[in-house]
Amino acid sequence: MTSAERRWQGLLFVAPFLLLYLLILIYPLLRGLWLSLYQVDLFGGGTFVGLANYARLAADPVFGQSLINTFLVTLMIVPLLTVVALALALALNRATRSAAILRGVFFSSAVLSVTIVTLIWRFILAPDAGLLGELWTALGREPLPFLSAPNLVLPALAMTTIWWSVGFPMLLFLAGLQQIPQDMYEAAALDRASKWTTFWRVTLPSLRRTTILVVMLQTAAQLQIFGQSQLLTAGGPSGASRTAVLFLFETAFGRWELGYASAAAEILFLIILAVTLTQYMLTGRVRAGEDGR
Amino acid sequence: MMRLLLAVLAALALGSCAQADDKTHIYLQRFFGECGAEYGGKTDVSKAEGECGIVTALVNKFNAENPDVQVDVNVIAWPGYPQLTAQMAARDPPDLVAMHTGVMADYAAKGLLEPVGSYLSQAGISPGAFTPAGRDGVSIKGQAYGLPWDTHGGLYHVNTLLFRQAGLIRGGEPILPTSPEEFLAHARQFRERTGKPYLIQSLVGDPAGAARTLYTYMMAQGAPIFPAPNRLRVNTPEGRKVADFFRQLTAEGLGTSNMDTPAAIAAFMSGEGGIYPTGTWMIGQFQQESVTPGRPLHNAYAVYPYPRLWGEHVEYVGGHAWAVPTRERTAKQREAIARFFRFMAAHNYDWARTGHLPALAAVLASERFRALPQRANIAPLGSIGRALPGTVQRQSAVEGIVGEEMSAAITGQKSSARALADADRRVNEFLAELQ
Repeated sequence: MTSAERRWQGLLFVAPFLLLYLLILIYPLLRGLWLSLYQVDLFGGGTFVGLANYARLAADPVFGQSLINTFLVTLMIVPLLTVVALALALALNRATRSAAILRGVFFSSAVLSVTIVTLIWRFILAPDAGLLGELWTALGREPLPFLSAPNLVLPALAMTTIWWSVGFPMLLFLAGLQQIPQDMYEAAALDRASKWTTFWRVTLPSLRRTTILVVMLQTAAQLQIFGQSQLLTAGGPSGASRTAVLFLFETAFGRWELGYASAAAEILFLIILAVTLTQYMLTGRVRAGEDGR
Repeated sequence: MMRLLLAVLAALALGSCAQADDKTHIYLQRFFGECGAEYGGKTDVSKAEGECGIVTALVNKFNAENPDVQVDVNVIAWPGYPQLTAQMAARDPPDLVAMHTGVMADYAAKGLLEPVGSYLSQAGISPGAFTPAGRDGVSIKGQAYGLPWDTHGGLYHVNTLLFRQAGLIRGGEPILPTSPEEFLAHARQFRERTGKPYLIQSLVGDPAGAARTLYTYMMAQGAPIFPAPNRLRVNTPEGRKVADFFRQLTAEGLGTSNMDTPAAIAAFMSGEGGIYPTGTWMIGQFQQESVTPGRPLHNAYAVYPYPRLWGEHVEYVGGHAWAVPTRERTAKQREAIARFFRFMAAHNYDWARTGHLPALAAVLASERFRALPQRANIAPLGSIGRALPGTVQRQSAVEGIVGEEMSAAITGQKSSARALADADRRVNEFLAELQ
């Protein structure tokens, strides 16, 4: 078989995936870019307006606030989620029945839909008759208005999201931990390294690639946070928890401004791309020549 | 052998695609909540309570009485317009949809709703059968775009037990304020004597309530909320007067500020406040509480239209209707829709038990309706109710923005002037973009 034939055969094998990829990802991306240059609603027609939608977005304080909220909530979620998932993985990385049960328990929240998750957390966070509110009241203190105070609403979304999302990163860390050769820990023990030193010098460096993967995946996911903001707070109070995707949703399907929403979607796409590439490049430089999992 | 096997498999696959029965299927989409667990198989409408229970029992009854038709129901979260709009954009709308009359113009202007004149005449319902509010609510450029089903608006739901404790009962009736000054005096007296807030306000994730308050009291002062169909103007002396008043009330702790709708409903039913301003749709549930011994609201419930505080006694109202999205249908489906209209019109009284005012004039005038609890108190809503101009588009999105900004003013997160100016700016910016 010639190399040209081999290449064609390889292309044939990947063609179904490539076609689907082009159809459901690349085409909508280009179509969205095209729509962002139009003043158009959901039902067709439209007028070409060039970059006017982008200029309007730049001057729109509601969109600006939604971007700031999105960055802030991502910053609240990703580092803490990574640490909690790692801690859980370290605690449950053992072959006992109780550890297996607890792994299932901590992963179970991940299978719930966002509707159920927000319903559960509403019962916890609501200051009147919510779980935290009752606890606060029992302690003789005024309950914290997690869902109505502008400075508490993003931490409330972050808490909800961490509880919901911790299962998958925990599994990734568990998989990473189980790939660390046991002889490295034996060598550390022979050197009389403390548990802390073993963690810093053996475990953490060995999990470098897993950690980078978790951070990158979670950053891209949390920059698109939507359901929690829509269902728990409806973006309020006064837009304090409106995220970029909620802004897109309201603009496209509430106000029918498809062109304007598409322009906002393109900006969000570029931001996610830039953040992910920056993380990739920064961590790639550190990682060069090191072997991690 | 292999061919036979393939043929059997193909026949099975095709068979599974067909309807499992030979009924005419109608796909109905509605809000009003999901209560299949309680009312899933019930057809006795007279025993159903609340919007969800009554509409579920009505559809069950229709299906039971019309064995050749099956109404399949899709329940969506209130108000459901983003989903409906997406379905319409995907050319896959339902056959029937529950709709607020205020948003019908959006869809009708795009040809996304069918005029329903032919369905109404097939059902034997004359346009003259509706109340003026019901008929006007669905009429766009002289054509009806839905079966009007009710007129609804905001009401002051009152805990009379706490009002008595606060010394705000006269002749067995709660004393409602007639001016802002009196409102504040009553609220302070109530707080002092009961230790509870006078007003239970649902300000978290519920922009409709705050918007209703602003619209009502601006209308009362004669201030045009929409001087033109694409121009909102709420940052006016009249608008700021309303926002400042409710802001002061909240700042003094006379009204709650941290509740969402479920929390506010629970607080009112637990006797945690004097007045809960919400809509006609809660009458059925609260009335049921008031006749249930042992409940905090037992023999302690009354309900009235929003009190007159400024100017004229008018109130912002809306309506629900059944609309028919444009799509291809068979003659049998059209006939089934007409039958559904006839059935729903015939059961307008049952729906009125929710607390909404009926859309059929004969039901509104009937003894049976007037004998329902609390209806004498709320009957004035029929004459003082005012809708926004039908020419204003995107009323649902506008309400969301106005309510969000008004809530920010009431809770003190923004100054009244800034919040109302932001509402004007945000709404006018997108209304200017309408095509």
